[in-house]
Amino acid sequence: MKLLWVLLLALALGSLLVGGAGLGLPRADILWQIRLPRTALAILIGGGLAVSGASLQGALRNPLADPGLLGIGGCAALGAVLAYYWGWSAAFAPALPVASLLAALAAAVALLLVAGRGGVLSLILAGVALSALSAAFIALALALAPNPYALAEITFWLLGSIADRSLAHLALAAPPILIGVAVLLTLGRGLDALSLGEDAAASLGQPVQRTVRLAALGCALAVGGGAAVAGGIGFVGLLVPHLLRPWFGERPSGLLAPSFPLGAALLLGADMLVRGLPLLLPLNGELPVGVVTAMLGAPALVVLARRVGR
Amino acid sequence: MTWLAALLLLVPCCAWAAPVQVVSVNLCADQLLVHLAPERVAALSPLARDPTISEVADIAAAMPWVRADAEAILALHPDLVLGGRYGAQPTIALLRQRGVPVDLLDMPSDFAGIRTQVREVAELLNARAAGEAWLAQMDERLAARRPWPVRAVMWEPRGWTSGPGSLGDSVMRQAGLRPMTEGHMLGLEALLADPPDVLIVARAPDYPSLATDLLRHPATQAIRRVSLPPAWLICATPESARAVARLRR
Repeated sequence: MKLLWVLLLALALGSLLVGGAGLGLPRADILWQIRLPRTALAILIGGGLAVSGASLQGALRNPLADPGLLGIGGCAALGAVLAYYWGWSAAFAPALPVASLLAALAAAVALLLVAGRGGVLSLILAGVALSALSAAFIALALALAPNPYALAEITFWLLGSIADRSLAHLALAAPPILIGVAVLLTLGRGLDALSLGEDAAASLGQPVQRTVRLAALGCALAVGGGAAVAGGIGFVGLLVPHLLRPWFGERPSGLLAPSFPLGAALLLGADMLVRGLPLLLPLNGELPVGVVTAMLGAPALVVLARRVGR
Repeated sequence: MTWLAALLLLVPCCAWAAPVQVVSVNLCADQLLVHLAPERVAALSPLARDPTISEVADIAAAMPWVRADAEAILALHPDLVLGGRYGAQPTIALLRQRGVPVDLLDMPSDFAGIRTQVREVAELLNARAAGEAWLAQMDERLAARRPWPVRAVMWEPRGWTSGPGSLGDSVMRQAGLRPMTEGHMLGLEALLADPPDVLIVARAPDYPSLATDLLRHPATQAIRRVSLPPAWLICATPESARAVARLRR
């Protein structure tokens, strides 16, 4: 655990040294107004996604649960797209995170309704449907947006990116993510009980419904806050709990807290790679960071799916 | 004999007759047509009415418009269609097949090119006087005030920059500025690492996009900035000289 925080701290310091202005310590304005918000956003968003993933895997008793795969991230991005391109957030900045976390909450509630009825498979299928639907509506909303550049920005929202964000974005995203993570971190015991099954948890005196609802709310806050300023970054929530299980065991309560530093470190590392690549390769600007998390996460998903199938 | 004389008198008249029903299917052609021969507009492109990209939007709002659709254009019975070199090619091909005269305009990238094009189009529309008056106004604007010899970057949405051979570059050089970029993409950090004396950006449209939000990133606030209406720079016309006048001191 301590090691994870040390890793994160080292990456965070290193992250301040990588950027479009070259390697090394930049001028103060670049450091404070560009690299600091970017580093902080990577930490918060990555940590929020990982804690959400760990909670969802516990609450749904499903090792494939991930805010991205289940469409919560996609729906959150859709809410942000609507608020942003239609000018609501220009009139009132907090409309951006509010819209995205309401959309994330709607997605989480819809999934819980499905999960309550069907099994593992129907939940994943519902998530896939929700992902596809949110991507389709993002495309539609961008195509209808009254700005000629909007449609070209679909990669930002579908894959997720934290390029060129400012302190203002940090101020919008940080409160919901921090509150969401705080809510999720209190759910350890309830999630542990849930892993025995809902009936067993209820017989242990655990408030099952309350735990599940709080998990949905916490995920909506943590995922929605991030998606509002960075789009739907995928696979962090899926990958991190699985990376931690060999060391921290299967119990959700043991996974929640270490998920934050590892998720943060994962997204920060991926973002540093994305920032460094244009210095090495002749790229037309930066890749969205979601490209890197997908490249890491998709093979991991295949491995997991095989293990679950056995 | 009398009728023969009358016929002979008519010949020069009709050979020189200007087109009376002109349709434009291109934003830049719209602006030339509105400035040179507004009374002969049969229809403009719908883009001409958009005030963020069209410098004649207020006049165009009262004029008919048509999409680049061959059937709709043929229904207007135009005796000249103006288009751009690279747009609406299938439509243009159909119109030519139907025998409609079409003139395709290039995009000049400097003021000499603008002068040549205005004269050509004015000739075509038989509106030489209007063309010369417009060019005189352009020369007046190009000579206004004093050059401003500082380092400049013209920063476009997504971080693209103006390079040699672009209208933006010509506008900066005409204003006496020293362009720092060669048309490559310039990221936020790279811009700040070697900041220009003046940052030239197009005034943002009403609705946000990440591409245009980049130009307003708080970290760029320390750099002196001049905002220009995008309509002055999208099409190369004598009105582009207004950008030069704005950039001089």
